[in-house]
Amino acid sequence: MDNSGKEKEASALMAEAEKKVKSSQSFFGSLFGSSSKLEEACDLYVRAANMYKMAKNWCAAGNAFSQAAHLHLQMQSKHDAAVNLIDAGNAFKKADPQEAINCLNRAIEIYTDMGRFTIAAKHHITIAEIYETELVDIDKAIAHYEQAADYYKGEESTSSANKCLLKVATYAAQLERYPKAIEIYEQVGTYAMDSTLLKYSAKDHFFKAALCHFCVDMLNAKLAVEKYEEMFPAFSDSRECKLLKVGRSPKSFSRNNKIKPHLDVKAGLSEHRVVCRH
Amino acid sequence: MSSDFETYEQDFGTITAEVTNKIGRIPKLSGEEKTQLVLNVDKQLEEVRELLEQMDLEVREIPVQSRAMYNSRLKSYKQEMEKLEKDFKRSRIAYSDEVRNELLGDDAISSEGQRAHLLDNTEKLERSSRRLEAGYQIAVETEQVGQEILSNLHTDREKIQRARERLRETDANLGKSSRILTGMLRRIIQNRVLIFVLGAVILLTIILAIYLNLRGH
Repeated sequence: MDNSGKEKEASALMAEAEKKVKSSQSFFGSLFGSSSKLEEACDLYVRAANMYKMAKNWCAAGNAFSQAAHLHLQMQSKHDAAVNLIDAGNAFKKADPQEAINCLNRAIEIYTDMGRFTIAAKHHITIAEIYETELVDIDKAIAHYEQAADYYKGEESTSSANKCLLKVATYAAQLERYPKAIEIYEQVGTYAMDSTLLKYSAKDHFFKAALCHFCVDMLNAKLAVEKYEEMFPAFSDSRECKLLKVGRSPKSFSRNNKIKPHLDVKAGLSEHRVVCRH
Repeated sequence: MSSDFETYEQDFGTITAEVTNKIGRIPKLSGEEKTQLVLNVDKQLEEVRELLEQMDLEVREIPVQSRAMYNSRLKSYKQEMEKLEKDFKRSRIAYSDEVRNELLGDDAISSEGQRAHLLDNTEKLERSSRRLEAGYQIAVETEQVGQEILSNLHTDREKIQRARERLRETDANLGKSSRILTGMLRRIIQNRVLIFVLGAVILLTIILAIYLNLRGH
């Protein structure tokens, strides 16, 4: 009951806001301080959108937010426009993913224009997640994650960049683009080695890189494992390394096919632990 | 109800007698017959267990007063059954007396105990190794959780550093803007003073002009 009442209020507010916008475009409006009218209209749109959110009418809320953003753009306040576009994107996420992606893309353009790359990167990640879950388009998801990682690198937050790159690598390996995944894992692994906080995850990255090598070429794998051992002494006495050495034996060609499904479970590392625990 | 109980008791008696008989015969046999007999005894022990369960249920249905007697009987039957099981276990591992005496001279009885002892030890070892495995697995999982936490910490650390930088920048900007504002305020005051002074001068000039005019008249 409460919700439908809110919806009626919201629609009333929207109508009022539209009237204000129209009136501000007429001759007299532009004479007598149209900007304040536009601001009020924006405010009304935002309030209407919040009420739609309360009534769980996500599409209408998203629309209201995009209208507000449009007005802000007219008033040349880019920052506010971007904020409203993000709100619109979040509202649409629950209803219409495609529309959400549109809004988020526009918001990202505004942010990159203003030079706020960190926020743009964060929203690239959001878009990539939508592609991951709702619209299952792995290629585009990979593209967005890469973009986000580049922005993060530009802003010197290597850790967040690494997080995105790891996701890229997981998906690339799933799609059998092994060279790329190998490169990313090696890069991240080398970076992790130097940091006190991250060195315990370094061996994990090298292990994944070696698994990718396995799927490609045995000889390369052998060389790679030796390279890692040389780079990173602690790697050699971890259980994963022993598993790799076992896997290197010639009869492990059949293991290749066993390892491929392992790669698909890459995210679930605990599976590895169980395997290594023999 | 109690007649059911008595039927169960009778069944229990017959089966336990058979079992004791067979348990006595097991060590002397070997090979095919022995496995057969062992299976038989197993089945009968299962039956005995079921009987005991049913007796238990029966006892529960009996009203409270007469329950005590049946309870005590039930307890004694359970103990008998446990003894039977122990005997059975021992009989399975005990070879027939003649063979052992041949092999070990007259150490027969004590080596039987030793064998049971060995089995106990093996069981304990297995238990401890299983516990060790479980502990190891927990350690590995802990390590994995730790890895995740550390990487989260690293990301948060960078975020905090960035936020601090931005805060310092904002602080500097605020300082600059406050200086500009003070400058503006000063200029406003200056302008106002100037206006007053000029106004006063103009007023004076007008008054002088009027005064001179009147004087000149």
